[in-house]
Amino acid sequence: MRELIRRAWHIIRQRRFEEDLAEEMEFHRAMTQHEIEDRGVNPREAAFAARRAFGSVALAADRSRDVWIPRALQGLGQDFRLAVRTLFANRLVSFIAILSLALGIGANTAIFSLVNSLLLRALPVAQPERLAMVTGGGSPNQAYPYPTWEEIRKRADAFGGLCASLTTRFDLARGGEMQFVDGLSASGDFFATLGVPALLGRTFTAADDVRGGGPDGAVAVISYAFWQRHFGGAVSVIGTPVTIERVPFTIIGVTPPDFFGVEVGRAFDVAVPITADALMRGRGTFLDQFSWRLTVIVRLKPGESIDHATSTLRGLQPRIREAAMPLDWPARSLATFLTDPLTLVPAALGTSGLRHQYQRPLVILLVVVGLVLLIACANIANLLLARATARRHELSVRRALGASRWRIARQFLVESLVLSAAGTATGLAFAAWGSRAIVAQLSPPFVSRVALDLSIDWRVLAFTGAMAVTTVVLFSIGPAFRATQTVSPDALKAHGRGSVNERRAGFSGGLVVVQMALSLVLVVAAGLFLRTFGRLASRPLGFDAGRVLVLNVDVTRAHIEPANRLAFYLRLPRAVATVPGVAFTGGSLMTPVSGSGSNRFVDVPGAPSLPQMERLVVVNFVTPGWFAVYGIAVRAGRDIVDTDTDSTQPVVVVNEAFARRFYPGRNPVGASLAAPAPGRRDVPPLKVIVGVVADTVYSSLRESPQPTLFLPAAQWDFRVPFGGGSVSVRAASGSPATLAHGIAAALATVDRDLAFTVRPLTEQVDASLTQERLVAILSGFFGALALLLAGLGLYGVTAYAVFRCRREIGIRMALGAAPAGVVRLVLSRVTMLVGLGVAIGAGVSLWASRFVASLLYGLEPRDPATLVGAVLALSAVGAFAAWLPARRASRIDPAVVLRCE
Amino acid sequence: MGRPESIELLPGTLDLLILKTLAAGAEHGYGIASRLKALSEDVLQIGESSLYPALQRLLIKGWVKAEWGASENNRRARYYTLTAAGRKQLGAEREEFDRLILAIHKVLNAT
Repeated sequence: MRELIRRAWHIIRQRRFEEDLAEEMEFHRAMTQHEIEDRGVNPREAAFAARRAFGSVALAADRSRDVWIPRALQGLGQDFRLAVRTLFANRLVSFIAILSLALGIGANTAIFSLVNSLLLRALPVAQPERLAMVTGGGSPNQAYPYPTWEEIRKRADAFGGLCASLTTRFDLARGGEMQFVDGLSASGDFFATLGVPALLGRTFTAADDVRGGGPDGAVAVISYAFWQRHFGGAVSVIGTPVTIERVPFTIIGVTPPDFFGVEVGRAFDVAVPITADALMRGRGTFLDQFSWRLTVIVRLKPGESIDHATSTLRGLQPRIREAAMPLDWPARSLATFLTDPLTLVPAALGTSGLRHQYQRPLVILLVVVGLVLLIACANIANLLLARATARRHELSVRRALGASRWRIARQFLVESLVLSAAGTATGLAFAAWGSRAIVAQLSPPFVSRVALDLSIDWRVLAFTGAMAVTTVVLFSIGPAFRATQTVSPDALKAHGRGSVNERRAGFSGGLVVVQMALSLVLVVAAGLFLRTFGRLASRPLGFDAGRVLVLNVDVTRAHIEPANRLAFYLRLPRAVATVPGVAFTGGSLMTPVSGSGSNRFVDVPGAPSLPQMERLVVVNFVTPGWFAVYGIAVRAGRDIVDTDTDSTQPVVVVNEAFARRFYPGRNPVGASLAAPAPGRRDVPPLKVIVGVVADTVYSSLRESPQPTLFLPAAQWDFRVPFGGGSVSVRAASGSPATLAHGIAAALATVDRDLAFTVRPLTEQVDASLTQERLVAILSGFFGALALLLAGLGLYGVTAYAVFRCRREIGIRMALGAAPAGVVRLVLSRVTMLVGLGVAIGAGVSLWASRFVASLLYGLEPRDPATLVGAVLALSAVGAFAAWLPARRASRIDPAVVLRCE
Repeated sequence: MGRPESIELLPGTLDLLILKTLAAGAEHGYGIASRLKALSEDVLQIGESSLYPALQRLLIKGWVKAEWGASENNRRARYYTLTAAGRKQLGAEREEFDRLILAIHKVLNAT
């Protein structure tokens, strides 16, 4: 180690070393001469003799130098200086090369750091590999009801540790519009099981997780980020009161900076014990319901296999299940509930809904940016190749003077290394910005914030490092090889004489073909994703989303008795309707394109017999006036009216898709059907169809209109009490946002404490396309970048070919060739290269498109229009890039060129 | 004056000899060479292209250190001194060398 430091010190002080050595040896020689003179030899003879005695000074110096630095590495500093100087000499070219490399490496690093944090990185907890999640029914992200969790927890001794949690949102406002923060409800042993200590204060424990609060009352733990954001990192935060869902809590601790919970993509601000829900929701708490919400995580005992823990869990399953059964369930559902085998799956990476949604798009994007980098590398390789050819003369001289092949190849490697290092450094800065911008795109306003840990870890560093090295290899091997080939004495003489028909440019021609092919693939991909997004964004919704505001109201607070919630809720649309500027208001359980939905089986007497799954229809509960808000036309019969109450005949409005499926060729108005709420064991009365409305999009833009039942909210028929819905408002004119203030005042007249959020419907529709928009934007950007790089590459190669062949072109023109003929001559070769690249690219696109099929909407993976469009775009760019230098060739003045030679 | 390329040194012995020479006190390159020559009664004549690389090796290992000083005839000369590590190394190498010589002796004297 010390030795290395001495060697490094030597490299830094190399000049000093050379001087010391020279002086030392001169002293030695002088002393020898002195000694010889002492023997009586005259000084002149003695000087010669001493020099002879000493031998070769250069050899001694060389050997001394070799001791410090291995011979093969000497002169690296020179090479670096030369490389940097060369790059500065061609500033524009270097700038373009470094920029394209930075974009390529930056994009790769950005996408990879997303892949890393979403798909690869383990939870920042103690020994994450010993964590496993309880699943069942073949679903990877299974949640469990609180009663089940209680039973599992009673058997905690069988495992190394147990905890349960759910991510949610908490309202910290004391009244009025909600101030949401990301929330975590966790069992008392959550932090202990995961091995996450408190950074400040303490985390909560099992003693705190009891109904009504533990010894310290209702307690909350906050995250490091929230602590910094809201309390400026003040230590006095411990013991501070905080209002969560209108209930006072006390902050008892702060978690470490990197801890975000167990769901990747979500980061909690405030964590409370699960049982705190009883404080917030009173009798409506999910603790007493079979509401499937808790993620249960098990810590394996040291050395225990996951299969062993699973069999332990299976052994306990009958008792866990029987101890807490939803007794009011139908027998068939209950049987499934009892027998669905519990299984443990590894949970080192945590859970994630985001992961499920973005896995495929991210991998595809990683391939896309990888291809962009390849195109950039091809460009730079061509550039260096051209430069190597231009320097053939210089290199031949160096070879002739005895430079080794290695030494010359090394010069190119070092140049590539400098380029790559500059590109990588710029790229890293670009990546840090890019990955944050992408995450910001993932979190549209009004929805839960997406939080991903994008810090650079060893995986990202290794990835970027590997890329930097790979790029060096990719773009320096060709030129370095070419450079070492130039040994022929001809090269010493030949200078700037090439032929238009030269075969030797095969390598750079090949690079152009590869570039064109890859670019076409990327342009096709961009076309497919952009068209998918365009189709989704412009598809008819069946309703008018403009001028509509959606208010989400929470009626589950403790101060509203569950039995009174519905009546309370029904007062809200009427209150909002009085606000000036409001045209229509209506309440509903679901709002369109919100991503969630409700469904049930229907039984239509006299309808064609249909398989069970076709009798599953989607359901919405609405209040009178809701159709008017959305501009949904009533095609037959009537709207739901105020006189449809829980004491009158149950009625239903269906959409046209429903009518088509169950009443083909008939008018369904007046017909009866059975559509019991799931989970009910009694047989409710039949519902009468009173109206038919136009088809609309239900929960997702990707779905075609589904058969839909609209039930009056006043005729709520679920076992469980009404739990909340939304109120939609259409402004009479202009922007609906101006109404927000009046609406808040109107809602306050119903209940001063009511919690609600306001969001324009268009926002909600846009947010449902976040993934498609992101993929379209990124693939479009990279497609355009690929096009640009390919154009630059082609331009460069053609321009260089013209430059090298200027003599031949000059001769041809002197002999009478027309400018048009010269253009044709230059273009013929380029056309062949581009044509070949496009043909290969088209083939690859047709083959590879199957991998993106699942992300597309409304078009085939092999969409011919997209392919043709991409080919045309690429050909146009190629033609333009080649035409510029060709035109210049046709303007060559033969006299000037020939005189120069 | 010719350079009777005296005898081939065993590999590594030059380092040992330099260390030994320096054990008597600081010395410059020329001094080391002439002292070796004198002590070996002209048998060991170390060429400069061996001496200086050997000195670099010892510097890298940290067994000697070099400082500029004034020579006996008042010229600037680079003096090498044995470090503590060098002294230890000298002892170790010397033992090793003795064992080697003994072993060679045993082989040569075997009947």
